[in-house]
Amino acid sequence: MSVSDETLMAYADDALDAGARAAVEAALAADPALRARLEAHRRLQAGLRAAFDGALAEPVPERLVAAAQTRPPAAPVVDLAARRAARWSVREWSAMAASLAAGAILAFGLSGGPRPPAPDLVVADGALAADGALAQALERRLAADESGGAPRIGISFRDREGRYCRSFSVETVAGLACREDAGWRVALVTAGQGDVGGELRQAGAHTPQEILAAIDARIAGDALDAAEEAAARDAGWRAAAAP
Amino acid sequence: MAIEADALRDEIVALLPRLRRFARALAGHPADADDLVQIAVERALMRMDQFQRGTRLEAWLFAIVRNAWLDEARARQRRARIFAPAEEGENAGDARVSSAEARLQVNALQRAMQALPAEQREAVALVCVEGLGYREAAETLGVPQGTLTSRLARGRDALMRMMGETP
Repeated sequence: MSVSDETLMAYADDALDAGARAAVEAALAADPALRARLEAHRRLQAGLRAAFDGALAEPVPERLVAAAQTRPPAAPVVDLAARRAARWSVREWSAMAASLAAGAILAFGLSGGPRPPAPDLVVADGALAADGALAQALERRLAADESGGAPRIGISFRDREGRYCRSFSVETVAGLACREDAGWRVALVTAGQGDVGGELRQAGAHTPQEILAAIDARIAGDALDAAEEAAARDAGWRAAAAP
Repeated sequence: MAIEADALRDEIVALLPRLRRFARALAGHPADADDLVQIAVERALMRMDQFQRGTRLEAWLFAIVRNAWLDEARARQRRARIFAPAEEGENAGDARVSSAEARLQVNALQRAMQALPAEQREAVALVCVEGLGYREAAETLGVPQGTLTSRLARGRDALMRMMGETP
């Protein structure tokens, strides 16, 4: 059997399940060239460890220890259960939207709690669509663009039907939208992560698990890198440009 | 609550060597790396309420270090400054690297890491240097696992080429 580079890499990282591992081992036994590739992976792995392990052996500078031991003036420890993420499906959003006049901008209300700022969402043709500043950001903004405030763009990718999709966040709300002819259709919205500082989400590291799972379920190939993202935007997110 | 916060601080102190290693893999220069660790620790302490018990503290801290690094890289770009290249022999005092040949290899790999695009470098740093699993590394970076593995594969491929290995 032939073993792909990614599979061999996963074998070297011990990231394969037992069945796949056995298959790679059988291939290794029969193929000296494959064994040589594996050895190259192991040499690189050992080299990378050696290149950076020096930091582990050195004494930690006092200023860093002091930074970690400083008691910040206000570090409120709150009950996490009280602010557990409330996940809103399209169905719930649609129900809420339907109770308002179509075309109206939704205010995002959580009963009893503070009201996080709303992404602009409207109901169009029975589905939830982006509007206003959110639609503008989905259409024009790049993930690296950090000027101004919300909404921010996370990951851009192409789904299995060739459409472009992008994850986004607005304050404590995160979502996933895909481009259709009429505009950006919102597939999923989650709320209530409570990340007040916003910095974690800024670089995409705080994309909620539900959104990541939704991306995994839709993505075809790899996420767009910065150049591909800019090119797709400049081409108007046309699905027709699919390879 | 206060006791738990103190315990968390102790755990952060215990993780400082690994945070420094990770930051060095990202930023190259040891002094820059330590600045990142300091910024990250301060941010982490301000946001301790956002740390969810049951998730791994190190992955949470790696994410904060990585974001501090991206912030810094963007700020530098805005100031239109070029990254200072990693200095040669910056770890010359590292007694664990004995032979001259090993020394050269270490320097070459440190430089090669700095030549990787950020997306690949952070993937390699988390998995190959810090030993995180694919799923955990993907969560730390906020990307799907398939994206993580393809960045990792490209990063390793590029490193092998730079090191004169045929992948």
